[in-house]
Amino acid sequence: MHTVLSVDAMELLWTIATVLFLYSSLSFLWKAFDCRRNQNCYLVDYVCYKPSDDRKLSTELYSDVIKRNKRLSMPDYKFHLKVVVNFGISEETYGPRSIIEGREESPTLDDCDDEVDDCMYSTLDELFRRTGISSGDVDVLVVNISMFTPDPSLTSRIVNRDKMREDVKTFNLSGMGCSASPIANDLVNNVFKTRKRTLAVVITSESIAPNWYCGTDKSMMLGNSLFRSGGCSFMLTNDPSLKHLAKMSLKCLVRAHSGANDDAYSCAMQKEDTDGRVGFHLSKSLPKVAVRAFTENLQTLAPNVLPVGELALYVIRGLRHRLRRSKETKADAGTAVRVNFKSGVEHFCLHTGGAAVIDAVGSALGLNKYDVEPARMTLHRWGNTSASSLWYVLSYMEAKKRLRRKDRVLMLSFGAGFKCNSYLWEVLRDLEDGGAWEDCIEAYPPNP
Amino acid sequence: MPAEPLPQFLSSIKLKYVKLGYQYLANHMLTFLLIPVMVAAFLEAAKIGPDELVSLWRSLGINAIHALCTVLLVVVVATAYFMSRPRPVYLVDYACFQPARNCRVPFATFFEHARLMPFFDEKSVRFQVRILERSGLGEETCLPPANHYIPPCPSMEASRAEAQLVIFSAIDDLIAKTGLKPKDIDILVVNCSLFSPTPSLSAMIVNKYKLRSNIMSFNLSGMGCSAGLISVDLARDLLQAHPNSYALVVSTEIITPNYYAGNERSMLLPNCLFRMGAAAVLLSNRRRERARAKYRLLHVVRTHKGADDRAYLCVYEEEDGDGNSGIRLSKDLMAIADEALRSNITTVGPLVLPVTEQLRFLASLVARRLLGSRGWKPYIPDFKRAFEHFCIHAGGRAVIDELQLNLRLSAAHVEASRMALHRFGNTSSSSLWYELGYIEAKGRMRRGDRVWMIGFGSGFKCNSAVWRCLRTVATPVDGPWSDCIHRYPVHIPEVVKLL
Repeated sequence: MHTVLSVDAMELLWTIATVLFLYSSLSFLWKAFDCRRNQNCYLVDYVCYKPSDDRKLSTELYSDVIKRNKRLSMPDYKFHLKVVVNFGISEETYGPRSIIEGREESPTLDDCDDEVDDCMYSTLDELFRRTGISSGDVDVLVVNISMFTPDPSLTSRIVNRDKMREDVKTFNLSGMGCSASPIANDLVNNVFKTRKRTLAVVITSESIAPNWYCGTDKSMMLGNSLFRSGGCSFMLTNDPSLKHLAKMSLKCLVRAHSGANDDAYSCAMQKEDTDGRVGFHLSKSLPKVAVRAFTENLQTLAPNVLPVGELALYVIRGLRHRLRRSKETKADAGTAVRVNFKSGVEHFCLHTGGAAVIDAVGSALGLNKYDVEPARMTLHRWGNTSASSLWYVLSYMEAKKRLRRKDRVLMLSFGAGFKCNSYLWEVLRDLEDGGAWEDCIEAYPPNP
Repeated sequence: MPAEPLPQFLSSIKLKYVKLGYQYLANHMLTFLLIPVMVAAFLEAAKIGPDELVSLWRSLGINAIHALCTVLLVVVVATAYFMSRPRPVYLVDYACFQPARNCRVPFATFFEHARLMPFFDEKSVRFQVRILERSGLGEETCLPPANHYIPPCPSMEASRAEAQLVIFSAIDDLIAKTGLKPKDIDILVVNCSLFSPTPSLSAMIVNKYKLRSNIMSFNLSGMGCSAGLISVDLARDLLQAHPNSYALVVSTEIITPNYYAGNERSMLLPNCLFRMGAAAVLLSNRRRERARAKYRLLHVVRTHKGADDRAYLCVYEEEDGDGNSGIRLSKDLMAIADEALRSNITTVGPLVLPVTEQLRFLASLVARRLLGSRGWKPYIPDFKRAFEHFCIHAGGRAVIDELQLNLRLSAAHVEASRMALHRFGNTSSSSLWYELGYIEAKGRMRRGDRVWMIGFGSGFKCNSAVWRCLRTVATPVDGPWSDCIHRYPVHIPEVVKLL
């Protein structure tokens, strides 16, 4: 009797143990699967900043500002204007109010605050309105503005204005240059890997008011001519339930930092000139440094972006080229093996560093006029808006209804340090918003 | 401790405790179910003799294949389970900047310089000296070379020079201590609130130490005195996402460009309190670093009170009537720090307090509800039972006094903070590391000890980190305290009479 009872009890225990074991394995597998689901980074929406029309900085207005600097000679003045004309920007780009109103040499802290506030608040309000998500739902907030860092930080300013939660994770990035947008994205992406169902808002812009150069050093005058006001707020999430709202999904992000090289580190640097005035120095070795950083980035990017067929072709072409080079003379050994990036990417958002930069990058990637048109037109309409320029280029493509489901978009930018950062997105649905281009997209591209 | 603010504080955490209790139950349901089953199985097995057990086993008819499959399944699931757990974050070692003696600013020097500055009026000089008398700072705190000039020369070049001096010294010391190869650094996070050149300070470090081109670098700025813990939080998230990595966290505050050259009283305080300092910390999630790591990071909790206007405005950079920019500290600072701390400990408390303390707190909550606020005094959890050491941001004497009172700490618990303030001044985000260095230099850090770091900063933020010591730290310890630890602790009078 005792044995029979024991056997029953043992069987029961065995059954319970098996059930519990199965339960624990299943729940654990579910957790692992759930974790995987949350690895994605979706772009819910983005809003590009459109300043008010009274802030338009036409060439005439710009030359008035330059003329106010009595330290400049006639050749310097001509140099300024030549840069602006050759740069490829229109009469429609925007500048900060303090410069237009004549306070470029002595902007107050209020001027700087106003410039940045206008951009951040208007884009954020629009972003929350369009997505229907409230500021209280934001879990992570990242702001990147390179050349202005008040205390409390700009992230605190937004937390205060929009009454965000106490446990919101804020990060205020600064000093990271024109390619800070991918860096902010990288930060958010890494936070997403450790938390489920997280919502992040990133604001990227630049501050021009406190950084106007009032000296006579030519290498620092370029900054004045190139940079214009702009910014963008975008919302990211790893919550699969918001995928139906999202516009794009992040596929790959590559960062290349060539700061270990002294030339690269010092080619774009904020420093004082011989008279003690602070300006943004751009050296003559910048193009060479940019090429090196670009190559480094592409070496890591290409295998992640290109289809296997194209990679195989590249290897074969490379071998053939090498065999040919060993047989031929030095004179013929100039052509490099090109990779056709268009086999893996449909659209290219290139940093609007200048017409020369866009053309150089475009030719290196094997792009035609149609492919570089968004970047060229963005440069024309908005100027170099630093880290947010990629988003204006994206917005152009969207306004032109070029972005279709399953298309892949490559964003590529350069920045001080010297960095070349790139990221690849996949479009989740046909996109049609006009955004900041709404009122002028019909006029682009302008007739020659 | 005033009774009025407490009910709000208590009601907000009530729900948190309920949620936490439910979470604990849900996470450990398996354990709760398994324990009675195992106990029953053991009792049953105890009743039957070993022979019977063997015959029972045979009767189940398990053959070798069944056994092998089961074992394999168990191994697979166990491996996958262990690999999915969050990776531990170890603090391998850290180094603090030791300023040279020629940068010292004794009280007499400070007084003399203030008198000779062309922009200070008599009242401002006397005000600054009175602040210094009561500040809790000693005679050996240091200012950067540019601030020793009369008037100071806050150029960008001098600021970069200070940054290079403090940051590179700290990193060099860290490399010497740990044998770290710069090429092995995968993650770099730098925080410096009030100086942010382009290229960033993180790019400056990449350049100096020839770090790898695929480094994940981030430069945080404007985030105040609690930014050191924000950097640690970011490094932790990055380490969770990237296995087998090293993260270098550099916390500093560059004083050179931030000297206030005006006469607004609320903006003169930083001149008196902020001093030169920096810390470089090496974090890693490599399992082999477990053997030599000093600490393990248990929790980081961040609280941002910026939604409240009073809190947001209490530490604020602005221009005075003459256009001089400086940081204004409001009179509400202590009250706001108090509120921020309460919010932070409502989250930290459940994570670190022993179950008995939490139950007592819950019981007091319930009792107050049932018997009314007057019938039962509020029970403040005893954090001394959760931690052996406390590193409280050395923001100023008042901050340390306030926290000592609120958390019911003894003088011994806040000694590290007071002595760090005395010897190094308010070094902003790196102050916590100087305090940790003090505890180690005194030979008080034992294996298993838990450390609570609390930082406050503009915004208004209160961030805290909990560390567990993995190995007893032997003295003497290399670092900024090595030449003066024998003189500490010192008695710090309420007022050091200068005028």
